[in-house]
Amino acid sequence: MRKYIIYTGLIAVAGTMAAFFMYNKPHESIKKAKPAYELNAGEIYSDFEADETLANEKYLDKVVQVSGTVVESSTTEDGIVSITLDGGGMLGGVICQLDEFSDHEKTNYTAGETVTFRGKCTGMLMDVVLVRCVEVQ
Amino acid sequence: MKKILIAIALIGVSMSIHAQKYFTKEGKIAFSSDAPLEKIEAHNNKATSVIDVESGRMEFALLIKAFQFEKALMQEHFNENYMESSKFPKAIFKGQVVNMDEINLSKDGTYPAKVKGELTIHGVTNEVETEGVFEVKDGNISAQSAFEVAVADYDIEIPAVVRDNIAKIVLIDVNVNYQKLDR
Repeated sequence: MRKYIIYTGLIAVAGTMAAFFMYNKPHESIKKAKPAYELNAGEIYSDFEADETLANEKYLDKVVQVSGTVVESSTTEDGIVSITLDGGGMLGGVICQLDEFSDHEKTNYTAGETVTFRGKCTGMLMDVVLVRCVEVQ
Repeated sequence: MKKILIAIALIGVSMSIHAQKYFTKEGKIAFSSDAPLEKIEAHNNKATSVIDVESGRMEFALLIKAFQFEKALMQEHFNENYMESSKFPKAIFKGQVVNMDEINLSKDGTYPAKVKGELTIHGVTNEVETEGVFEVKDGNISAQSAFEVAVADYDIEIPAVVRDNIAKIVLIDVNVNYQKLDR
């Protein structure tokens, strides 16, 4: 009888711990993630411009690594940094929003710089938007 | 014939002068669900919005996957189970400032606004109406609004198991700073 109670207790504790870790599981590390695609800003932008549905199927929620030339960089009041890369389009480019959960060596970017970011593709509005970006050297 | 052409050209010119638009690509939209068991919050800093200051027409668009949650698991459930964001990647609002005649966005001040339009989330479009505030300061236009959305109105199903974790009414918070669109 006592054994039974101990076993039940152990299972309950293990279950609670498992649930706790599941609930608090960390965000996927972008730094360690292997990118599904490595390409330049012009390529991903024209893919989205050519056929958004197809591009969504290909890139949405995937970790992609995009290289390009910085057009502009901005920081919001909350300290969220976004860098726009030239996509070759008239109106839009590729916006990379730096990851809030990672440490960044650099948050200051100037127009004309060539950079490579790895981040999660969320789709296209006027620009292709990547979130949770980290710079790749 | 010539006169008509000139008239058309003049109308075209005057329209392009008046069609003053402002836009942003960095609109902040957050939502919170306050249920008995859990408070869930997420924010999105990449909403686009355009407003025509003359007619009061305005549009918002955002990418569902760009919402950032505190907990990875919530974000996963939100995208995969509730919003099905691979199928419906965007949320869009198209509408109109109803009381545009009381608002002068070229003059500094604070203007309460009534906005009416169509909100599309999860592939479902509903008529919505809300109130907000325009603030013009040194020529910069910003806008704020907060409104409620009933999850059920957008065919988003919440399983009975998590009924006490997710609110039926979600509060949406909108905060945008517009820039002049030079085109």
